[in-house]
This record gives sequence, C-alpha cells and structure tokens, in this order.
Amino acid sequence: MSKKFSIVGKEVIRQDGYAKVTGSAKFADDIIFTDMLFGVMVRTHVVHALIKNIDFSAIENNPALTTIITAEDIPGAKKVGPIKKDQPVFCYDKVVTSGDVLAMLVGKDESELRKLVDNVKIEYNELPVVTDPENALNDNTPLIHPENKTNLINHYPLLKGDVKKGFAESDYVIERRYTTSYQEHAYIEPETVIAYPFEGNNGIKVIGSIQNPYTARRVVSEVMGIPLADVRIEQAELGGSFGGKDDTMNILAARAAVAALKTGQPIKIKFGREESIIESYKRHPYRLNYKVGFNSDGKIKAMKIDILADGGAYASMSPFATWRTVVQATGPYEIENVETNVNAVYTNNPYTGAMRGFGSPQPIFAQESLMDEIAAELNISPLKVRTINGFKAGSITASGQKLDEHEVSFNKVLEKAGAESCFNVKWNKYRKENNKIDGNFIIKEKQKSNNFILNENQFIDPENTWRRGIGLSVSFRGCSLGAEGIDAVTAYLSLQPDGSIHLSCGLAENGQGLRTTFSIIVSEVLGIPIEDVHYLNLDTGHNSDSGPTVASRSTLMGGGAVQNASSILKERLKKVFYKYWNINKDCNLIFNSGLITYGNGNKKITFKELCSLAYNDDSNMSTLGLYAGPKVDWDEESGQGNAYFTYVYGCQVAEVSVNISTGEVYVNKVIAVHDAGTVINLLGSEGQVYGGVTQGAGFCLWEELNSEEGKIKELNFDQYLIPTCKDIDEIKPFFVEGNEKYGPWGAKSLGEPTLELTSAAIANAIFNATGVRYRNLPINLEEIILLRKLRPDNLKRGSA
Amino acid sequence: MSHKIEFILNGKSVCINTNANRRLLDILREEFQLTGTKEGCSIGECGACTVLMNNKAVNSCLVLAGQVNGSEILTIEGVAKNGLHKLQENFLMAGAIQCGFCTPGVIMSSYALLLENSNPTEEEIKEAIAGNLCRCTGYKQIIKAIKDTIS
Amino acid sequence: MIPDLEYIRAIDLNDTLKILDVKNGKVKVLAGGTDIITGLQQGFSRFAKIYKLLDIAQLNELKSISINEDSFEIGAGLTFSEIIANNNIATAYPLLVKAASTIGSVQIRNRATIGGNIINNAPCADSLSPLLVYDASVRIQSNKGAKEVLLKDFLSEAYRTNLEQNEIVTHIILPKILKTYIGDFYKLGRRRGVAISRLSLTVLIKCEKQIIEDLRIAGGAVTPVAMRFTNIEEMGIGKKVSNKLLISLSQEIGRKVLKVTGLRWSSAYKLPVVQQSLYQLLVNVCKKLNGTNVA
Repeated sequence: MSKKFSIVGKEVIRQDGYAKVTGSAKFADDIIFTDMLFGVMVRTHVVHALIKNIDFSAIENNPALTTIITAEDIPGAKKVGPIKKDQPVFCYDKVVTSGDVLAMLVGKDESELRKLVDNVKIEYNELPVVTDPENALNDNTPLIHPENKTNLINHYPLLKGDVKKGFAESDYVIERRYTTSYQEHAYIEPETVIAYPFEGNNGIKVIGSIQNPYTARRVVSEVMGIPLADVRIEQAELGGSFGGKDDTMNILAARAAVAALKTGQPIKIKFGREESIIESYKRHPYRLNYKVGFNSDGKIKAMKIDILADGGAYASMSPFATWRTVVQATGPYEIENVETNVNAVYTNNPYTGAMRGFGSPQPIFAQESLMDEIAAELNISPLKVRTINGFKAGSITASGQKLDEHEVSFNKVLEKAGAESCFNVKWNKYRKENNKIDGNFIIKEKQKSNNFILNENQFIDPENTWRRGIGLSVSFRGCSLGAEGIDAVTAYLSLQPDGSIHLSCGLAENGQGLRTTFSIIVSEVLGIPIEDVHYLNLDTGHNSDSGPTVASRSTLMGGGAVQNASSILKERLKKVFYKYWNINKDCNLIFNSGLITYGNGNKKITFKELCSLAYNDDSNMSTLGLYAGPKVDWDEESGQGNAYFTYVYGCQVAEVSVNISTGEVYVNKVIAVHDAGTVINLLGSEGQVYGGVTQGAGFCLWEELNSEEGKIKELNFDQYLIPTCKDIDEIKPFFVEGNEKYGPWGAKSLGEPTLELTSAAIANAIFNATGVRYRNLPINLEEIILLRKLRPDNLKRGSA
Repeated sequence: MSHKIEFILNGKSVCINTNANRRLLDILREEFQLTGTKEGCSIGECGACTVLMNNKAVNSCLVLAGQVNGSEILTIEGVAKNGLHKLQENFLMAGAIQCGFCTPGVIMSSYALLLENSNPTEEEIKEAIAGNLCRCTGYKQIIKAIKDTIS
Repeated sequence: MIPDLEYIRAIDLNDTLKILDVKNGKVKVLAGGTDIITGLQQGFSRFAKIYKLLDIAQLNELKSISINEDSFEIGAGLTFSEIIANNNIATAYPLLVKAASTIGSVQIRNRATIGGNIINNAPCADSLSPLLVYDASVRIQSNKGAKEVLLKDFLSEAYRTNLEQNEIVTHIILPKILKTYIGDFYKLGRRRGVAISRLSLTVLIKCEKQIIEDLRIAGGAVTPVAMRFTNIEEMGIGKKVSNKLLISLSQEIGRKVLKVTGLRWSSAYKLPVVQQSLYQLLVNVCKKLNGTNVA
C-alpha cells in the first residue's frame, strides 16, 4: 500500500465492542419505562379484501385493555411511504396483504393483550388475490390500489444504440430466463420501538431499532401532523438491519407515537419473530429475461433485458431499488446496443423493499450466469469472456456514462481473483473430471411413470457423488444514492478542554461499525488515540438530516463529512498553536501520537494542552462537517445519464462441492476481491466481506420463502434457513484499493458489493461441477436434483 | 398460579415468585434486568438467549420457570470477573462483533464449550456455536476469537 | 406465547405415577421441553388444551444406565448430550450416538431427552431409526406395574404412540449387538448446521464370507413414522453381497416408501434420493466388510 497512515487501514477494535461483549449494550427491548404500556397488533386474517366492519365489543371492557388504536386516532396522514404514499399505518378501508394491521391493542400486560387479539371480529368483503406478478398488469386483474388506476409501480426503460442492428450483426443470439426468490433480512433482533410524549404533550420522542432515524422522524411527523422539530428519534443499539429496519420501523414508530400521545404514557411495540416475518418487507423476487448477441470471438454486440420485480402490496423502495437494476443490469461490460426494461408491479404478496444489495443481487445472478453461458457456447474460459467485454478506463456504460472520473479496476479485481484462486487450472480440471456427468443425474418428470424407481445405471457410487466446481462473478456498483436522491451528510465534532472529543453524524450505526470507522478518521486527521474519540448516539435532535444510512454510503459520505469536520477543527487548532509559539505564517505542523510538532521538534505541544489553550482563548470548539456528493443526472425517458458519481468493482470466486445424489451444495471457499477504495478499518472491512458473502450464499442456496395465496409459510428460523457457522468453509477477503478522488482518502463502498456477487459465483461453480445451468434461485436440494421447484403443501415443523 | 423459585444466578442465591408459564428468559430480563440475554426467535433456533444452566449451554426461551428451581444459572453479565473474560477480549480483538445482538449468546456457547473442552478443534468449535445464528459476521471472526482463546 | 398453565415438579417416579393416575387426562409429561415448549409457543394444535405440565426432567430414576448380560438399559430421561458423552453407549451402540450428535444444536441436545424424542414421535426424529435397527424396546411404567414393548410396536402414527395417559416410558432397552455387526447412520438436511432431517437412514449388517447373515434397515423422515424395512432386509438376508443386490435393495426402498406414503409433493425428490442414499450407505458399509467387492 502506497498510502501512509497512522491508523487508517489497520485492525481497529470496535468502539461499541465492550458494551456488546458484556451484555450491557442497550437494544430497544432492553429499555424499560416504569409506566410503560404495550401495543399489540390486530392483523388481517385475509389477504385482499374490503373491510366491512371491525367489532371490538368482545374485548372493550376487558381490564387488560387501556385503549384501542385505529386509523381514526391518527391526527395526520393515514398513509405513508418513502416514494408513494400507499401504505396505511392502520388499514381502514381495505387490506391488501397478509401482514396488514387494522388496530393496535394497548395495555400494561403484553401477554394478556395477545390473548384478546382473536376476539376482535372483523368482517371482510374478500377480493381475488393477485399473486403472480406476470398477471399484475392484465386488464382483468383486480387493482391493489384502485386510486392508482394501475398495478404498475414503475417502469424504467433504457436505450443505447440499436439492439435490432446489434443482434443482426451477431454470430450468436441466445435467450435465457432467470428467477430469484424472496430474501428475508433475518436480523436476529426483531423490531422494537418505544414512544413517549414530551412533557405537556409537546411533541414525541421515539427510541427504537430504527435504521434511518430521519426517515422515521418524517413519517412520525406526517402521521402526527406536527413539525419535524417536535419529533425526536433516538436510535437504540441496532440488532442488525441490512436495509430491513426502515419502512416497517417507521410505521411502528408512528403507531407507537399515536398511542403515546393518546394515552400520555410510554408505549412499547415488540415484535416476535413470526410477526417480524409476516409484516416486514423482503428482497424483491425478480423474473429476468436476457437476450444477448455476441460474436465468435466473444465480443458482446447487443443485449435486450426485460425484468419484472414483484413489489408486493406497497411500493416502498421499489422505484429506487429497480432504478439501480436498470443502471447495472448489463453488468460491468461495455455493450454497444442495449435495451432494458424494468417493471415493478403491485401484487397482494408481502411487500418488498430495501435489502442489502438493493436491486443488484438479482440482475448480477442473471447477468453473470449469462456470461458463463456465453463462454460455454463458445467453449472459452469464463475469465476470457469477461476480459474481452469488461469495462476499461473511458468505457461507456449502458446509460451512456463515460467512466473516466475514477480508476476502473475491473481488470485488477478479475486478475487478482483469478490468480488467488488458480481459476483457470481448477476450472479446466473440474470440467474434465465432471464432463461425463453432464446433468445425467437429473430426475426427469417422466420418471413418474415408474414411480421414480431408479434404473440400475442411475445409481451413483459414493466415491463419485461429490463433484467439485469453481465459478466466478464480477460486478460494478454505483456508490451512494446516485440520481435517486439528495446526497449530503453532516458530522458534528466537538473538542473538550481536556482533549477528548465528541463525535456524531447524521448517519446511523447499523451494526456495521460506522462509529469505529468515523472515529478512526478523526484519530487519523488529528493524530490522537482513537480512545479519545467518544461517539454520541444518533438523536435527530442533535444532528441534521443526512439522508438514510443505505447504499453503502456511510464510509464514503459520512466519512467525508467527518474528515471535513476534523480538518476544520485542525485548522482552528493550528491557529492556536501559531499564537502560542508566535509563528506568523502558515506552516507544516505534524499532528501525531497526541502531539503537535513544528519544524525539527523544538516547538511542540500536546493535543490536550492545545485544546485547553483553545478553550481558554474563547475558540469555537465545535463544528459541523459537510460532505455533498457531486451532481449526477438521469433522463427517465431514455434511461441515459451519469447515474452515480463513482463506482466500485469486485470479483468473487466460489468453490463448491455438489452431491449429485442428494442435491446438497457445500461452499468450500469463496475468494472475495473488492476495490472499495481505501480501507479505513481492516477488521471491519473483513467483517463486511465475511457477512456479505454468507448472506449471498444464503440467498443462493438455502433461503426460501413461499408465499402461498399471498401468505408466507416460513415464519421462523426452523423453516427459513439462514447459514450457520457450519455451512461455508472458508472465505478469503482481498482488498485491491484503487485510486479515488472522492470520500475520505478515497474510501468508497463495501457493504453491498460483498453480497451481490456470491450467488452468481456459486451458480457458475455448480455448473462447473455438474454441467447443469441452474437459473432459478434458491438452488436448493430439489432444484439440483429435479431442475425445478417443489412446492410443499404442508410446511408444518417436522412434516415428512 | 405462582411458584417460588430458588436458584443461583451469576454466583448469588436468588428467590422469586413467578407464574409457571414464564420462561427463564423472561425471568432474567424482567425480574433481574439482566438484558444481555436476548430473544430472537422464541423457539430455540437462534441461540440469542443462550445461558449456562448447571454449566451447560441452554436456550433460556425453552426453560420454564419451574425447571430453573435448584439450578445454577450463568448469564453474560456474570462472565466478566475482575475485567473481561479472555473470550470477551478475543471477541473484541478478532472483530467477532457487528450488531452485537447475537454476541452474548455466542459467548455463552463458547464459554460452555471451553468449560468442557479446554482444547477444542475447529470442528468442535463450529459444533458448539452452530445453534447460534449470526446474520452479520459470517462467523469467521467468531471462530477465530474462540481459537485465540485456546492458544 | 406460552399459555397459562400449571407446573408440577415430580418428586420421584412413584409421585409421577400417582399424579398420572389421577384421571383428568390433561397432564402432559415434560422432560427437556424442546418439543413441548416450542409447540406451546407456536400454538400448535397438538399442544392445545394442555393445562398441567408434570416435570420429570430431574428424576434420577430416569437417568440410569445399566449394563446387563444381554442388554443395555438407558434411562429415558437422559439428554442427548449425556448419551453422546457416555463411552459405554458409544462403544456398544455407535449409530445411536452418531444420530444423537446430529440432533438440533448443543443447546437443544443439552435439554432434549431420548424418551422425549420417542414420545414426540416426529417423522424426522433422528434417534428412532438407530433405535429401531438395534431392536430397542421401551419400558413402560404405570401405577399398575411395568411392561416392555418393542419400539416398532410402540410408535403408532406421526406424533402419536401407544402410551396411555397413566403411563410413562422409563427406560429404553437395547439388546446387545455382536461385534461382527457393522453399520452406519446417514442424515440429509437442508443445511449442515442444526438441520431438521430431510431423510435419515440406519443400516446394520452382519456378513460371513460375503453372505449376508443379518441385515437391518430403518429410516426417518421418509415415512410418516420411522420404520424398519423388513421386506428389504429379508430380500438381502442369505444373499451374497454384490452391487446388483445392493441396487435391488435400494430400488425396493423406493417402492416401499411409495407404498406407505403414496405419491405426494415431495415424492419426485424423496423417492430417488432415498434409493440413492440407501445404496451409498450400503456400499460404504459393505466396503468395510473384509474383502467384499461391491464394485
């Protein structure tokens, strides 16, 4: 590494670690108020219906009940949403999905309240349930939100060149269809929120496991009909989010707030796991149709892509998530002629929104599988087909953006991953070993005629049943929000007279280690021990709205703001230093190891003393730092524009073992090479890779939600299977650290790239192992053996 | 019906009266404000509520009040004595923590393992924490932290 | 949410039997609780209408292990962790220990008892197929006395046994197995850690000069109740070990499972995979037989 740092890039221990290893860290459910009441949801029993009547008479006089909250208690907006205001806080005219809530019972004893829920009588006029997104736009399909007059949430076209001409000029044209499934965030902490009124009912305070406190504030303010400044959101320690504690939490915050102002008491809402899975949004299932034209030398001439995203019952983040899809759907390849259409539609399925990756894991699974399919057609190596088409400095993306503002490290990550994994050698070796299998283990539907009794030649010797394979995938990813939103962050830094420091930022700790990353930046700029930086928890009353903590933007944007704040205070301290040593001009001071030194070291002062001097000199000891992203642009009609101001590149190689008798896939090794720019905290960065790869492997192999007639069947961790420590053997992170002009010392994004690549790498490795191309996620036991999904009719625990 | 329950909690004798349908998890969190023990799934699948009962790791969501009577319970709050336990230190050093919600449970499972087996293999470490789901870390740094504690 | 209920802690076995003898029909015996408490929590119908739990987990009478001349008696109240840790059981009944160590997580195995696994009789219960292969019996006790019933006759249908309201299972009796038997246990789950069985198989075989003298096969999670495949065993006994034989035995398990379960949603996957798994298990076991050539 050429960059010289004292702490940046080292392994730094988490600031919040001590509290977390001793059990003293306060998550929302660990916070208790003496006169606290609980809120328990009354949920719909049906999926799609008009509400005729809600009858509480059976419980109204129950002593356990303090009050009942319904839509009628809402003083302000009855419907909310980040983009389209289509989601009711409490349903009043219609229910549109199985997680919908009609009322909240409030009382002292949560378990007593839960007993009452079933006694609320709800009358419905049931409507047909729309479950297939392919039918959502048909003329005779019922409208989920009739006021919208369509079930279309959004449509993004993108046009570059002339695909017709491109296909005509291609030696080969192939068409492939891929599908992906829901993914549940599966944060281990279920949703919890507490709201209480300020003295005299002047406003409301909310504490909760909230990913984006400023978004929650906006929602509470809208629902209560009170100014933003009358709402204060404080983030409790957040037990995992991954994009998931946004809309759901904002609505819970609003429900608690309504009840808190009505009763004048603190209200806690705490979800159990089943409630969490029923009501919270998921990752969008996608249907992806790719048509690609290419020449015999491997050069891609044209690509036509049609993508359909199941948005479920509410728009939520669909318009933003699918926008990222349209920008990145062709992958990190320069293609002359592109036509992409991405539609997100309403159905009565569970709604879908933000989840780590945010509209990228699905197209990357398809696109990077497709690259290997092209390689297979041409009988060339997966590395070669990518090298031929991959982005270089100055390449033009599908949206017409010229990549000349950052280091395009496509080749760097690809070469590193190829070398570290001995990709070509292993890929050829496995292909030779597995050549004879070529899918002949697949059980065809026609074997039903002999009741699936295997022929003699179908039995596989145990020594041949485990097949090895290796596969890779590459991606580029736009950093931060891009043209989808306002992109500026502030950080607050305050020097204390004894040299200790308060730091906070408008972005939120989600467990990813943002506090530590930001503290490192302060420590680096001011040359002080990181222990002297005291991170303040996010309270919307103490900071300014910096947008959401999403899009892997915290290190880049928040880190930039922290660096800016640190530099401002550094300049002020320099002036105090000059005054103290009677220096008349700006000169080079070294801030290092808690000491500020000038020249050969004869003029120096400790950081502590300098802060004390500054304080006694009536200096301004605090500042806000700002980091604003450069302008980006997008034309909705043509899908052309400079979508993001910079990009990151990554390449993952997966090695797998596939049991061709049972369909088990075991992940032996994942090599993850990422250019996330400068690494700020090595320990935290490696943690992001381990965690992201593991979630990506889960998305590919094990995690499955079946929505049957709009109802989810896998409601807890006995059936929704996330990876355990035994499911992935080895993960090896590598950081190539390309040059970058934005962000603190060129630090960019890492959290999401780590997840988005894994499923395609694994699918490609499975192909190498079996000769079978699996195009439908998750690639579970049945998919491997049958090349199709089996839909269970009974998912009860332990059913055979 | 209220039951009198006596047990040893983090080395001290305690006694409470409680309903039969309350779980050890509820008792720890609500009666003793030991909120380091977390509830993640309520059905023994996630391990966030893991505590030691008579030196064995158990899911405290699957232990009813009455079953606690006469037993010895150790929670995350009782692990650090005169400073952090070596496991806790190594969790910090290895970066084995992200959101931290699963951390107390994983530490308790690891603690129980080391009580039984002072020199476990990597496979034995994985087996010991397989019942603790972590969605953030991908487990690698957790396994390293436990290994570092042995050597 | 766990409903309101009454909890009684049994003082000893006699006390237990007395309480059970009171004919109110609403007392549910509680041992480790890993099935009952999760079932109550999730509101499963088979745990509805439970008002009283009788806790027997602490009864030493149910935790004894005695080694007799021709059998082992294992207390039904032993947890799977206790069974795994017991060297005598591991030496005599390695397949039971192998199966036990795949059950749930450490936390579950520290609570769940072998008696509980039998009484709950889930289709996917992992201890059942090795127990069946070992010809296990259960000792049942009530105020009227004790009796022993073969496990295969005790398991009636999924989640049901022939246990009467006033009875409890105190011990599992395992006949001694000659050292000349070899076998294996196989379990397939959806993931490696803490998996519920998609299927499990146990095989035990005794061969003399490549002639199968005894063959025992049992499966879990392939039929509604774990069962011995006696017709397949009979097909093999007396025959010479050959690849052809193992294939025909394996095809037969497909036919048998189909006969028991009928064609259902999972058949397209389960039927081929159970055949394949049995075949591979048999091949691997036979490879351990001296000089047996199954290729």
